[in-house]
Amino acid sequence: MKRLPLLLSTIILAIIGNYALVFAASRISVSIDPVFIQANMGDKITYTGTISNNSDNVVNNIIAYISLANVTQGQESPMDLEDWSANKAIKVDAIPPHGTYEGKWPIRLIDSGSYVAYVMVVDKNDNIPVSSAMSRLEIKRVLRLNPNNVLPVALGEPILIGTVFLFISFKRRKGLRSL
Amino acid sequence: MKPAYIMQKEIKESILTPKGFLWYILTSVILSVLSYLFLTNSELSLLDQGEMLYMIMNFITALGVLIGIVFGADSFAGEIERGTLEALLLSPVNKTEIAIGKLGAALTNWGIIFVISLPYLFVVGKGAQNLLIGIAYLSILGTLLVITFSAFSMGLSARIKSMKNSLIISFFVFLLAGSPIFLSAAQRGTWFGRILDFINPFADAINTFDSVVIDSQGFSYQIERVVIICCYTLLSLWFLKKSASRLEM
Repeated sequence: MKRLPLLLSTIILAIIGNYALVFAASRISVSIDPVFIQANMGDKITYTGTISNNSDNVVNNIIAYISLANVTQGQESPMDLEDWSANKAIKVDAIPPHGTYEGKWPIRLIDSGSYVAYVMVVDKNDNIPVSSAMSRLEIKRVLRLNPNNVLPVALGEPILIGTVFLFISFKRRKGLRSL
Repeated sequence: MKPAYIMQKEIKESILTPKGFLWYILTSVILSVLSYLFLTNSELSLLDQGEMLYMIMNFITALGVLIGIVFGADSFAGEIERGTLEALLLSPVNKTEIAIGKLGAALTNWGIIFVISLPYLFVVGKGAQNLLIGIAYLSILGTLLVITFSAFSMGLSARIKSMKNSLIISFFVFLLAGSPIFLSAAQRGTWFGRILDFINPFADAINTFDSVVIDSQGFSYQIERVVIICCYTLLSLWFLKKSASRLEM
């Protein structure tokens, strides 16, 4: 029985602490646009993340970045965006009270499948990162067999050199037989 | 005219033969596969056009240098092993002229590889802003590197008189020269990596290609590297001349 007040006060403190963290995190909110994209492999799309400062104070030095996760059945994994997008992280120096900042993330779609994209914002003064809702991304497979008209060169040149090779071999053999 | 005669003989014996032509077929097959892979990647934008052009230029240079090394290693040691050096030394051509003729054949071989690679360069670099200037740099620096490594390999071949050994040593030197390729960007950024990059003719050539094709930098940025490559070329030619003069029956 003596332990009950201690247990109750611990639970209450934990709940208050949690609310305080959520309150601190809610100084900033972030949204992603568009919320759904259907595109082909090789297409370029741009995500816009809008970061809002909901507080009465200036928010300084926050980092915003985009993340992409593959949610295709059987291939679930986070994606390394190095190949997909050059600008992964954006540093925002300051957002005025009740102001917003728009960050843009151009992405080249390099593989087919179902993905989700979301923008994360990290404020060093808060303990919890803020995330946007997830934007769904469906990428259709496109197969181009002859980019830049490469096939005539890629197939033609070895055949041409091979023909010259056969011609030289034939001429040599003919020369040897005449001896 | 005497070196031209030796060169003609070498071309007939090493290049215009079915075996010699196999190299060119293989070169074109490798370039076909690489170009196709690069371009299907470009559809997915893993590499941009300039970077693809830069990579294929590096590959062509490495291929030219490698074949030049094989030519060089065979030049004198191969003649010794086939027992034909005596006949060559008895001909009215002096040793330096023989060396020049053989080097000319190695350069002809590089010229053929360069011509074979041109259609691939145009296809891969289509739309790249520095395509023509890149090809010009490849022709000049590629030629200088082929002279450097072929002359070095020929010099070794004349001194060591063993094709196998001169080939192995030349390959080791080539691997050492190509070592920056195996280092990460961070390792190359250290003082040791930067020095290694600077004094290494192969690294100087690929850094020049990078600077010209990807970063669109002018000739003033390339002068130091081009001068270093020229110094190595002169040094190798001097080494070849000295080594050829030591040849005896």
